[in-house]
Amino acid sequence: MKPPPPTSRLVLVSCVLTLAAVGLMVWSLLDPRPVPVVAAMSIGQGLGTASLGAFLYAVGADLRSRYVRARAERESARPRPP
Amino acid sequence: MTVQSSPLAVVALACAALSAAIIVGYLILRPPLGPSSRIWLLFGLGVFPIGVAFAGNIQGFEATKERQFCGSCHVMIPHASDSNSITSVSLSSRHARNKLFGNENCYSCHADYGMFGTIVTKLGGMRHVWLYYTEYRNVPIEEAKTTIHLLKPYPNDNCMQCHSTEGKLWLEVPDHKASLGDVRQGRVSCASAGCHGYAHPNFRPPGEAPAEPAVHPAPTDSSKTDAGSAP
Repeated sequence: MKPPPPTSRLVLVSCVLTLAAVGLMVWSLLDPRPVPVVAAMSIGQGLGTASLGAFLYAVGADLRSRYVRARAERESARPRPP
Repeated sequence: MTVQSSPLAVVALACAALSAAIIVGYLILRPPLGPSSRIWLLFGLGVFPIGVAFAGNIQGFEATKERQFCGSCHVMIPHASDSNSITSVSLSSRHARNKLFGNENCYSCHADYGMFGTIVTKLGGMRHVWLYYTEYRNVPIEEAKTTIHLLKPYPNDNCMQCHSTEGKLWLEVPDHKASLGDVRQGRVSCASAGCHGYAHPNFRPPGEAPAEPAVHPAPTDSSKTDAGSAP
C-alpha cells in the first residue's frame, strides 16, 4: 500500500485534532462545570489552534510543491538550445 | 443559563455540528487536496471551529457567573443551597431574591470592583478550581463548612458597587451615619456579626466558633423588600 503524502497526513492529523477540540468545547457547553469549561478554554483552544496551523501549513506546502512541480515541467518542456 | 435558553450556545452547537460533518465527510471520502476540498476544509477546520470557540467562550464566561456553576463543587453546596432557599434570611439569599442579582448573585457580590475586576476575579476563580482539585475535593461538606474561608476579608467596596453609602436612605440609618468613615475605609465590614451578619449561614472567619445564622428578620413581601433599590 502506497503511504499517503506528508500533506495528506498533516490534514488527517488536523482533522483529528479539530474533532477533539470541538468535542471539548461542546462538552463545556452541555455540561458547564469548572473542569469542562477550563478544559475547553485551554486544551480545546490549544488543539483547535494547532489543528488550524497544521492545516494551513499543509495547504501551503501542497501549493508550494505543485508550483515547484509545474515550474520543473515547464522548464523541461522548453526547447533546449542546440 | 441552559443551552436551550442561550442563542450563543445554539450558534456554537450548530457550528460544531457543521464542522464535524465536514471533517467526517472528508475522512470518509478522502478526496485529493484540490481547490474545492481545501475550501471545504477551511470551513471545517477553521471557520466553524473559530465560531464554536468564539460563541463557546462567551457562553462559558457567562456560565461561570451562575450560582449553579459555583455550587457544582460540593464544598460550595451549603452556600449555593442557602442562596437558592426562598425562606433563608441570610445576606446571600436576600440578594439572590433580588432580580438585579438573581442567579448570578455569587459573581455579583464576589467579583472585584474596578477596571480589571473581571480579570482579577477570573484569575481568583482559577485559583479556587486548583485548590478544590488539589486540597478540597475529598473534604466532607460538614468539615468544609468550618475549614473553608475567604483568602482575605470581604471588601466593603464590593457592597459599595450598589450601596454607594451616598444615598439619603442609607445615611438616615444611625449606625451607617456613625460608622461612615470606617465603612468607606474598610475598617468595619458590612458583612460582620455586629452589622448585617455574615453573608452565608455557614461561614465564619477563621478562629471564630460557628454561631446561629441570620441577623435579619424574614421579609414579609419579597417583591418590595428584595427587589428594591440599593441606597
